[in-house]
Amino acid sequence: MGRKRRRSSFQAGELNLTAMIDVAFQLLSFFIITAHPVDVLTNLDVFRPMNDTKATSDNTKVIRVTVFPDGFTINERAVDSRQLNALLGKLADLDKTQTVVIQCLNESPHGKLIELLDVCSKLGLVNLSVISSGGA
Amino acid sequence: MRHQREEDYLSGNLTAMIDVVFQLIIFFVCTVNMQDKAIDERIKLAMAPNGKVDNRKNPYEVKIDISDKGVISIARFPMNTKLLTTILNKARADAHGVEVPVLIRADGRVKHETVRRVMDACTDAKIWKIKFTALKEKA
Repeated sequence: MGRKRRRSSFQAGELNLTAMIDVAFQLLSFFIITAHPVDVLTNLDVFRPMNDTKATSDNTKVIRVTVFPDGFTINERAVDSRQLNALLGKLADLDKTQTVVIQCLNESPHGKLIELLDVCSKLGLVNLSVISSGGA
Repeated sequence: MRHQREEDYLSGNLTAMIDVVFQLIIFFVCTVNMQDKAIDERIKLAMAPNGKVDNRKNPYEVKIDISDKGVISIARFPMNTKLLTTILNKARADAHGVEVPVLIRADGRVKHETVRRVMDACTDAKIWKIKFTALKEKA
């Protein structure tokens, strides 16, 4: 009789883990389904000039870039995306601290402005001022 | 009596503890991504592979979303430029002289006209430095 009692007390110590494992797999499935890779974002800094006319008039070390819906102009010279990189690169080699005054037409898509800011970031141009123009 | 104590010890009921543990896990799962939920994922950002990555968080940061339809919103709450200016003025007042970083998350297809209105609202609130969020690397 004594032996029988000992055996029964040993069996009572077993823990039923079925429910816990079920929930653990539920959580695992949830994480697998909901997990999604994260995009790497970047922030491109620009300044908004206090007075647009003053910013464009007095400084001689200024690169004026205009963003059109279908292209760009640098100091009144029309360029495409590839030429923009090359010409801005030449100007940036002279002085990286010079101000780039960016004029963006209302009709141009925001992606065009980002494209220009990306090129400026690549070339190390940091003084970027964005002014806006009404005409298309 | 000795065997009885051993039995009590071995058969301790852990159900309540496990329940609480899973309740906590569910709580953290539900709350951890609340900040990301405030971001409008329909916005397709333009690519800027040469931009610098800055993961520093600023408590005064204001993120402004602009959808491809030209809808301006903060944390998915659409607003006009007048309300935006009021919010930016309040953010600047709350910052007590510390610079308020403004992040504009604009869809790459939206016309600059809408972005300009947001920038004008920033200027009205005497915020001169603006950041444009772009996609450096697609996941």
